[in-house]
Amino acid sequence: MKLVRIAATLALVLALAAPAFAQGDAACKNLVAPSPFGPTDQTGATNRVTPAVTKAAAAEIQEGKAIPMSFILKDGVPLFGTRFSKTVLTAHSLAPGGAFGENQVTYMEDTWLSQSHVGTHLDGMGHIGIRDCYYNQTQMGKFITQNYITKLGLENLKSFATRGVLVDLVRYYQSQNKLRSNPACTKPCLDKGTVISAADVQGALKMTNTTLREGDIVIIHTGWGNLFEQFPKQNAVFSSGEPGPGKDAARWLADQKIVALGADTWGVEVLPNEDPKEAFPVHPILLTNNGIHIIENVRTDLMADEVARTGRATFFFYMSVPRAYGLTGNFVGIDGIR
Amino acid sequence: MKRAAALAICGLVAGAAVAPAAPGPRYRIGFANLTDDPGTKIEATGFTGDLVRESFVLAVRELPVDLVLYDNHGDPHRAIANAETAVRDRVDLFIEYNDDPSANASVAAIMTKAGLPVLAINYPVPGAPLYTADDGEAGRIAGEALAESALRDWEGHPLLGLIVGDWERGAARLDARAAGVRAGLTRRLKTLRIVKIAPADLGRVASANPGAKLLVATMSDPLALAAKQTLEAAGRAGDAVIVGQGLDPSIHGGQSDRREIDPNNRGSIVFGSVAFYLDRYGYEVLPLALAVLRGERIPARTVTRHVLVTASTVWREYPPTDLQ
Repeated sequence: MKLVRIAATLALVLALAAPAFAQGDAACKNLVAPSPFGPTDQTGATNRVTPAVTKAAAAEIQEGKAIPMSFILKDGVPLFGTRFSKTVLTAHSLAPGGAFGENQVTYMEDTWLSQSHVGTHLDGMGHIGIRDCYYNQTQMGKFITQNYITKLGLENLKSFATRGVLVDLVRYYQSQNKLRSNPACTKPCLDKGTVISAADVQGALKMTNTTLREGDIVIIHTGWGNLFEQFPKQNAVFSSGEPGPGKDAARWLADQKIVALGADTWGVEVLPNEDPKEAFPVHPILLTNNGIHIIENVRTDLMADEVARTGRATFFFYMSVPRAYGLTGNFVGIDGIR
Repeated sequence: MKRAAALAICGLVAGAAVAPAAPGPRYRIGFANLTDDPGTKIEATGFTGDLVRESFVLAVRELPVDLVLYDNHGDPHRAIANAETAVRDRVDLFIEYNDDPSANASVAAIMTKAGLPVLAINYPVPGAPLYTADDGEAGRIAGEALAESALRDWEGHPLLGLIVGDWERGAARLDARAAGVRAGLTRRLKTLRIVKIAPADLGRVASANPGAKLLVATMSDPLALAAKQTLEAAGRAGDAVIVGQGLDPSIHGGQSDRREIDPNNRGSIVFGSVAFYLDRYGYEVLPLALAVLRGERIPARTVTRHVLVTASTVWREYPPTDLQ
């Protein structure tokens, strides 16, 4: 009896000593869906970018025209609170007498001090979880150090060389006579808090006779990125909320087996969201439960103009992500090639 | 044309503008707010009327409702005029938020004559179901939290209960809140001496009771923050705990805001505030309105679910949207 009491006490002490969010593998199996790519998968939806998918996407390159789809990262762009991205230039050799040799070679380089989720950036599988349960039912608390994650890092990514699809919600809302713009936007934009539904996405795709296929990357144009372009003047408005997909749109897009969802907003989901008691509900639908990447602060206006001009919403999506070990995300450069 | 102009002035918010077409009928609901003024604090809390209005605009997004907004400007005459306009605007139901009983009686008469159902917020409209804050319950929650804190940390010490309020403003509400605090405190601390004071008296009372641990219930969050400053200035912060009322945006926020009630500020003597959720009224009241329109019975009185929110629960209750 005494032994039972001691064992019970020990179990209680161990339970109380565990980290607040420690779920255990079994709990993560209840909170997060398994990966469709197998129990050891750390890659997520870039598994869908097969050679056949890339080859098919190459057919989108018809003129060889590259359209920039990322914002330039520089001082003054919208960042929350204490988030930072700073560079320090090393330019010693430009000082008088600093050049090397008879041929007077000089050099410069940078020290980059930055958080990774700044500017146009990719959310990796290690970015969002439910309690400590992350993509593929990973009990993340076991895989974090002070410096990086040892599972689900960006080094596990495969290629993003696939077809991109621009979904122009501004044009769609205009066509439905329901565009409610924000006065701070200098071009038409959906206002913050506008819930983009699955029906909206489907309606916008129909405007360009586009059908999504497995392995696509979907980029939503809301016009809200116009506020990013006005930095720093409209940073507060830009960060105060945003238009974006609601939960049913996210679920529908996940069902289409896309690789990534991007938008010209900082969170790629409607904010304030549909239920004020939930936090960022679209993120776990896409990242945590479906392994679908999120790309934030995508520059969409140039591609939207191109799509409006030609009526073709598809392009070859060109994006390279530095395979730095153990990162949860990183800023990226994107071109849409037509 | 006239109607179009009226809608432009009042502001028409269509749920259809941002949501997929829902099956079943759509309704047109009028909401007359107490005041839309972002500078006017309401209900003796730190909330402002524009936050109430915004909550309706957000909540309607997913509902089969076209919302027509009116601003009563805290003016009884305007409230009556808005009710008449709402009848002309052919709303299916009218939600009235107005604190003048006489005007509310007139609004009831106008709507009865037009055959339109009414829902009232915080102040009764004759014959209409009421959605309201429960000031007594909110006070009780604060009082019990303070008492539990004292029993946990200061057992055996002399204690003094202080109820701090701007007693001239919103007297009925504040009296109910204060009575609730008193009931909550004395449920566990039966012999506790409790004093009701104005904010300006707090420093003096604290200094006059140097040996007592102070259990401070403030009637709003701005007063909780002011009380903290006063007690710090009096050198009594270590002898006091404070609970506010409202959980308005002055006392909590996102990660970057670093407000008083924040998971990273667990040592604050302001250890909590009782939530009133005025910024979520739309999410609470519009479903009641829809139930009425669908012919369902709703209670004659529905009250806010008040809870004590602390540093360890605030981000669960109000998830931040900024990131660090």
